[in-house]
This record gives sequence, C-alpha cells and structure tokens, in this order.
Amino acid sequence: MSLAIKNVTKKYGEKTVVDNISFEITKPGVYALLGTNGAGKTTTIRIILGMLARDSGEVLWDGKPLDPVKTNVGYLAEERGLYPKYSLLDQLLYFAKLKNVPKKLAMERIKDWSEKLQVNEYVFPSKKGKKAAKANRADQLSKGNQQKIQLMAALISDPKLIILDEPLSGLDPVNTDLFKGIIREEIAKDKFLIMSSHQMPTIEEFCSDITIMNRGKALLQGNLNEIKKGYGRVNLFVKCDLPIDQYINAFELKLVEKTPSQYHLKVSSEEQAMRFLAKLVEDKIPVVKFELREPSLHEIFVEKVGEVHE
Amino acid sequence: MNKSKLTGWKDVFSFTLIQTVKSKSFIVSFMLFFFISIAAMPVISMINGDSDENVCHIEKVYVNDESQLSPDGFLPTIEDELYGNVSFIQMNEDKDALLERIDKEETTSIVLDITQGVNGFNLSFTKPSNGEITKNETKALGSIVMEEFSEYRLNALGISKDQLDFIHSEVDTTVVSADVNGEEIVDVDTSISDAQYWFIYGILFVVMMITTMSGTQIASSIASDKSTRVVEYLLTSVKPLALMFGKILAMLVAVMGQIIVLIIGLFVSNSVTTSITGGESIIDKYLPSGIVSNLSIINIIICFIVIGLGLLFYATLAGIAGATVSKIEELNEGMTMYTVFVMVGAYVGIAAANMLMSSGENSLVTFALIFPLSSPFLLPGAILIGKVNVGLMAISIALLVLFIIMILRFVAKIYETLIYHNGSTVSFKKLIGMAKDLKKGAK
Repeated sequence: MSLAIKNVTKKYGEKTVVDNISFEITKPGVYALLGTNGAGKTTTIRIILGMLARDSGEVLWDGKPLDPVKTNVGYLAEERGLYPKYSLLDQLLYFAKLKNVPKKLAMERIKDWSEKLQVNEYVFPSKKGKKAAKANRADQLSKGNQQKIQLMAALISDPKLIILDEPLSGLDPVNTDLFKGIIREEIAKDKFLIMSSHQMPTIEEFCSDITIMNRGKALLQGNLNEIKKGYGRVNLFVKCDLPIDQYINAFELKLVEKTPSQYHLKVSSEEQAMRFLAKLVEDKIPVVKFELREPSLHEIFVEKVGEVHE
Repeated sequence: MNKSKLTGWKDVFSFTLIQTVKSKSFIVSFMLFFFISIAAMPVISMINGDSDENVCHIEKVYVNDESQLSPDGFLPTIEDELYGNVSFIQMNEDKDALLERIDKEETTSIVLDITQGVNGFNLSFTKPSNGEITKNETKALGSIVMEEFSEYRLNALGISKDQLDFIHSEVDTTVVSADVNGEEIVDVDTSISDAQYWFIYGILFVVMMITTMSGTQIASSIASDKSTRVVEYLLTSVKPLALMFGKILAMLVAVMGQIIVLIIGLFVSNSVTTSITGGESIIDKYLPSGIVSNLSIINIIICFIVIGLGLLFYATLAGIAGATVSKIEELNEGMTMYTVFVMVGAYVGIAAANMLMSSGENSLVTFALIFPLSSPFLLPGAILIGKVNVGLMAISIALLVLFIIMILRFVAKIYETLIYHNGSTVSFKKLIGMAKDLKKGAK
C-alpha cells in the first residue's frame, strides 16, 4: 500500500493556498506535515480526504484515486466537532455506521476505546433517566475528553490510513502520553499516518519523513534523519568548571546561548569542534560535558521558514 | 450528479430523524400541536355555542307590536322542526312587570318589541338574564320571525309574494362577442365561490406553514453541523450532497409527522365533540361537501406529489441557506433569501386565488399554477375543487421537477465549497460566482 500526493494545487480566486505539493508514503509509519499557521497544511489534508476540490494534481491510494467514502480513512480534525446535545454513544454509533462498521462490532470497539481512553463513565453513564441523558452529552465534557471521543470516532473503523491534524493540542501531560501511546499502537499495527503538528519534539518522536510548508509551498521535504545529516553536527554543547569565553572568541565560534549550566555554540565543522576540545584539554580546563549534535527539527523549521520571511 | 454522491444518505436520514424526534424541542412542539388539535373543536364549539344549536329552550314569546300594520297585531305561526312549538302571545300587561317576571319565574319566555322608525321596522328580542335560553337560539328564532314579518308586511299592504318576486326580479345585460365566422363566443363563468376560495386558502396556508417550519429546521440543522464542526468529520464518510439530502428528508418527515398528527387530532376531536354535543360536525359546517368537486384517490395522490415536490424544492433552498452561514446566530440573515422565495410563492398563490374568485381563470392564475414557487401552494387546492385540467397539472409537475433537478445540480456544485465557508454570510451573487468558478474545472 502507498499514498501518493502528486502536484496538488488549490486556489481560492487568485490566491494559491496549496502550490504544487507532492509527497509519497510508501511504507507504514508517520509522515509529518509542518508549517506555520496558514501554511496550507489543513487544506492539503482536506484535499487528500477529498473534502475539497483541487485545481490540479492527484491523490492516489494504492495507485488509484483516493475516495475517502470508499476507502477506510480515519480523520481527527484540527477544529474538533461533536454534536453538543446528542448522546455520545449515539454519535459514535452513527459515525461507525457511516463507516460501514456493523453495530455489534462498533459497540465492542466503543467499549474497548472507552476503557483505553478512560471515558467509560461518559459514554456509558451509570446514572439513569434524565441525569444519564445529560451526563453523556458532549457539552458536558472537558475539551480533553471531547478530544478523546473524537479520536475514538477517527479510529472506530480501524482505518488503514489515519490523518491526525494537531492531535495533541490542548491536552494535559497525562492525556498527551495517553494519545502518544495510542499513536505508537497504531504505528505498531502497520498503519499509514499523516500528522500535522506545531509540536516539533512530538514530530521528531514519531515521524520518519516530513514536509515543511510555508504559504502553500513545500520548503523542505524528505527523511528527517537525512535532512539532519545534511546539516551536519554543528551544534556544540559544552559545560566546564571554568569560564571559556576567551577560547570561544579565539576560535571565532558563534555563541547561540549561554546558560548557567552550559554553552550552546555553533561550529563550522566537526574538525573545528575537535580542535576546540583539544585546546581546552591542553590548557587543562576541566570539561564536564562536550556534546556535538545535529540541528533539532525546531531549529531547521525556524531557519527554513525564517529564510523565506526574510 | 452520480449515485456515489448520495451514498450514505440513509444513515444520515435515520440518525437525524431519530435525534430530532428525541429532542426536547420536538417533543414539546409535538405535544403542543397534539393538545391544540384535540382542544380545537371543543373550543370552537363552545365559542360558537354549537352545543345549543339543536335545542330550543324558548316556549313562549310575548309580542309587543307597535307597528300598527294591522288591528290584530303580528302573531306568527312558525313551521319549523325546532321552533314550531314556540307560542306567540300578545303582550297585554305592563312591560316592566312582564320583564321582571320572565327574569325571575318564567325563564323560558322572551319578549318581542316591534316598532316602526323613520328607516323601517325594528324587531327587538329581550331574553331573561337567567335560565337556559341562549343568545344564539334567540338569534336563530329572530331570523325566522323576521321572514314571517316580511310576509306579514306584504299581506298588510295587499301584495302577494309572487307579485313582490316579479318586482324584484333581476335585469341582466349581456355582451356577446362573435368570432371571424360570426359564431358566438360563449364566456363561461370560471370563478369560484367564497367557500372554494377559503378552501384553497386553507390548503395554501397549511403548505406554507409546513414549508416554513421544515425550512427553518433544515437550515438550522445544517448551520449547526457547520458551527459545531461535526461536518468536518462527517465528510470523510459521506459526500456533501448525501449529507444534505439525508438531513432534508429527515426534517421533512419529522415536520410532516407533526402536521399529520395535527390533522388526525383535529378529526378525532371533531368526531368526539360531535358525538358528545349531538350537533352538526364542525368540519362539515366550515367545509361544505359541495366544495371538493374533484375528490378522487388519483387527485389526492397527485396533490401529495405536488406538495412533496414543493417541500423538496423549498427544503433544498433552505439547505443552501443553512450552508451560507458559519454561526447559528447568523441563521436569520442567511434565511432572508429563503423567506423571500416562500413569501413570493405564497403571495402569488393568494393573488391567483383572489383572481379566481373575482373574475375566474385568466393568465395570472395559469402562471401561478405552473410557476414552481407558487404551484406547491396553489395547485393542490385548485386540483381538488376541479379548477386544473390534466395538461396544466402535467406542465406544473414537470416544471417543478425540472426546477428541483436544476437546483440540486447547482447545490451539488457549490455545496462542497459552501460547507467549508467560514466567515460572513454568503450572498446570492457570491453563490452564483462560486458555481461559475467551480465550472471552470476543479477536480
């Protein structure tokens, strides 16, 4: 199975909101769509899902045009939505029915997910009568719990392709870990995931391939490790028991940040970093930490998007 | 518009219908309609005093004739099933004393004063303030007595009824036109009676009520899906057109259900009220049997088809109206276009019904019968009173179907864009612009 997005363009009047975007997911895992607000990530996702008409390009699932109504796709939208006054169970059964999941199977899955996401008391309230009718409505839930119900709706049909638009936004640390655990489980089941997020550490944690978008265009695409390698190990973190400012100046290193615990420096090459370390050792400066790292996704993102804005 | 665009509409339909029927607002309005329909006939009966209509509590009428038309005075003999036993007696005592007596003791008697003024005669009835005699039965007796008094006046002058009819017989003038061959062109009177007009008006009003109610609910449901963002999720499973189609049908069924209950309730209420009071059926009283001259199963089915098509037509417009707004608070603004269409349709229908009553069939009536905005309101009533021929019926239904197809094709084009629209209410001009943009070839 594979998902291919080929030269997709979308215009609103004269404004191009998605400009010739292409990427391909050939093996199970998480693909990240990154970008600033208004970069075109959600529009791209909506085009993939067939909700929005595209002006040109193709979206292929297994080599054929993707029809989300026929293909089993799970979607967690950025702007969450549930019927505020209807029963949660009714809504989930409705969403399952729309995805052609038999009622019995849907009930089993709802029970499983409710336990896993710790929303059992809301989906299956113990109260009877009017109190129950009110207790199991979406407008009685916190934002985080509503998000859990939405995730249940997205996964109820056990989809092969899952699209998560900002899945962790607004969650507390406990629920963030809960969601991350579920994402890991889906990856382990060989699912194809597309994730859009502003949380770079999360992307680094899950995604192998990325596209950074800005103003509808793809600024940077490819395998995250390859991209990082391309930048080289230029981030140097040094911690010493004595001040080393004079050495930094002597080697003409760029000081990114100085904190009480360490120096964050930018080196031009690994060789320069090694010469710098050799000098510190030669002068008997007690070095507690010396770490040479590739740039983080956050840094790459800021650099790339920053370049365009400059 | 292919079949796959409607896949899933049944699921949307069943969910929307069940949730609507379960909602508090629906249950409350349903109960209210049911209560109104059940209570309607007894209330009308009480207001009109129908329960006393077939009972006469008057036994004696004291006549105080001051008209001086004859030396014996006016003492009618009534040949009426209900009032035939009422006896008329000349008043030979003090009026005040008599009035006091009938008020206290003789509560089944009334007093009739006949006086002559400058403009004619006056018959005044005084009934006791206590007792069972009602105003309605006194009025009913009064109208019988008035007819008797008219005859009494003629007899007093020596004129027979036949002579009077001859004097009052109408003199008509007729203008007859001729065609090119000199043949007479006969102008047939195609106008309708007052009762037929009110029959058409009644059906028009009910259809307009259903249209407005269902339209508001459909638009509100679609706007609510948009404002709550549920639509975002739904569209991964169903196409926008299927979503709208399912919602429209569900709301129509819900509203139709309410109306059917209202109608059944009215008939049940009428039947129960009639059997309790023993009087004339209130429905029969206001809907004389002669009005519906073209009542047949086929015509009733055609009427339902026309009403159904009309509701579908207006419901689709309401669906667009709902999709043009992003927030439920803006729904009134979005509904303006829809309300204008309903008003235009209803008023054209009313104008045509008026025209039909005053001058008979003409080009405006024909236009209103086939114009898709007005035909759902006017056509059903006009069919039942026999004012529409088969050809006109066929043209009207064909035009309605054509308009529905056109509007659904238009909706299919713009609905996807509209459903994601976020911002101020989309104007009619913008809607047309959207359709044109999409025609240029978005995939």
